[in-house]
Amino acid sequence: MPPVIEAEGLTRVFPGHIVAVDRVSFAVEQGEIFGFLGPNGAGKSTTIMMLTTLLRPTAGTARVAGFDVVRQPERVRASLGYVSQDLAVDDNLTGIENLTLQARLYHLPRQEARRRIAEVLQLVGLAHRARDRVETYSGGMRKRLDIAAGLLHRPKVLFLDEPTLGLDIQTRREIWRYVRDLRANTGMTVFLTTHYMEEADVLCDRVAIIDRGQIKAVGRPSELKAGLGGDVITLRLAGTPSAQRVTSALRGIPFVADVRFYEGEYVVTARDGEKTLPLVFEALQRVGEQIVAVTLKQPSLDDVYLAITGRGLRDDTEGREDAIRHRIRMRRIRA
Amino acid sequence: MKLCTLLTDSYWVFWREMKRLLVQRARIAIAGIQPLIWLILMGNAMGGLTANPATYRLLGTENYLEFMTPGIMIMSTLFGGIFGGISVIWDRRTGFLNKMLAAPIKRAAIPVGKITAITLQSAFQVTFIAAIAAAMGVKFATGVPGFFLILCIMILFSYGIAGVSLALASVLRSHEALMAVTNLLTLPMVFASNAIFPREAMPAWLKAIATYNPLTYAVTPLRTLVLEGWVWEKIWPGLLAMGFFAAAAVAISARQFARSEV
Repeated sequence: MPPVIEAEGLTRVFPGHIVAVDRVSFAVEQGEIFGFLGPNGAGKSTTIMMLTTLLRPTAGTARVAGFDVVRQPERVRASLGYVSQDLAVDDNLTGIENLTLQARLYHLPRQEARRRIAEVLQLVGLAHRARDRVETYSGGMRKRLDIAAGLLHRPKVLFLDEPTLGLDIQTRREIWRYVRDLRANTGMTVFLTTHYMEEADVLCDRVAIIDRGQIKAVGRPSELKAGLGGDVITLRLAGTPSAQRVTSALRGIPFVADVRFYEGEYVVTARDGEKTLPLVFEALQRVGEQIVAVTLKQPSLDDVYLAITGRGLRDDTEGREDAIRHRIRMRRIRA
Repeated sequence: MKLCTLLTDSYWVFWREMKRLLVQRARIAIAGIQPLIWLILMGNAMGGLTANPATYRLLGTENYLEFMTPGIMIMSTLFGGIFGGISVIWDRRTGFLNKMLAAPIKRAAIPVGKITAITLQSAFQVTFIAAIAAAMGVKFATGVPGFFLILCIMILFSYGIAGVSLALASVLRSHEALMAVTNLLTLPMVFASNAIFPREAMPAWLKAIATYNPLTYAVTPLRTLVLEGWVWEKIWPGLLAMGFFAAAAVAISARQFARSEV
């Protein structure tokens, strides 16, 4: 089966030679949950907007559900569901009215629309509030309604732009559960963007790490983490021993790939952390050092991101209109 | 088939706008009170003018209110339409515009539906003004059939003005910019027209501007229908001009929204 989303050298340049998306190529297979991971301003939303025909690529091509986003925009639009990061539901309408409007905009027959509205309301757990005006909903409820609207016409691909932006952790987990259930029940392909490492880790089958408009790595979260070369052991020692002596002692251990001294701690990357740990104790005892504290953890996508881009999450400066939109969004989420 | 889709898509955009209006009761109340204030205020403040035989000749009636009623109808339509673009900017900010643009609708349905909603509101407002004016003693020379023609002209004018506003809103991306441009346009448009002041009493230069002002084209046939009767040579030009204005403005705004990026 051909990929559901195919991008080839996709590029978008904004006025002032700002390259928001820079020759991005990737393919998403049928039934996959595929994530774009990167900080704000990395080009995630711009990519989604090109794939959903809201922005025109400056260069490159993209096909969604087999249709070209530039030459067959109407076919593309009919095949996709788009849930922006804006909570794009109308606060003045009720939940049902919002969904009815959505059904009409996607040209669903009346009977079918009524059935599906009841179905998606059940799916996102809003059936009991469907007749209330959206004004009275919490941020999480609005998000769920917005996702329900995106599902109504059973798109081949669902685009979720920062689906849990600004939501509390409990609501976030709920949304993750809905997305996973959805894929399990319908086999729908999901393309999402996020700057939450945990979200990419928990939700996505494959992740593309995007930084300054370019894809730096693509793979399963487990592969990306394994690519770092093992687990991370952090040590704190008594007194102030010679860093060089400690480092060379640690480097002598067979599993150890890398040792760094960072802010008073020794950060050891080792292929098999659990087997390495006793060897670390032995080696340090031999050179007469005493361990005060030790942690062993598996690398997170945070560590991967840091290793690949050399940077952590940062917020790039936004335009004025973007800042206003962001404020409105946050106000509605907190409502 | 395509036209049919355009019409149903437009209807649902219109449906949303009307639902929103019905929820926002304050907007309905203000839409009713505003022309009432105009009628009472202007009718009383300027009523003394008509005692003077010279102004009587300029206005073409003894009753200033009779002169003013068509002007107030068109001004209400103007204000209702010119700020129509704000809803586009608001939709852009809440993300609803992108939601509609990502849907497989005829994109021209977005401006057409919004403009139609604005126009229906203005048509109600104009009917309300006519009723109040009639209650205050204004005699409509052409009666009820004339009023239907008034509605037609006013609807065309509304399509034109709202079309301009939406086309502007698709380019200007902030409330502030749109407000600045519309404020710049509206008051001079009102004062350099025959809406509240007879053209005959204007200095030559202002008269020249007023002659080509779209507002004058809208007001003249209305005033003819209220004050004089079926004087077609004074009605045709305005009706025709409004038809062109509406068609051009709607076409431009539809084109703006059909572009790949809005």
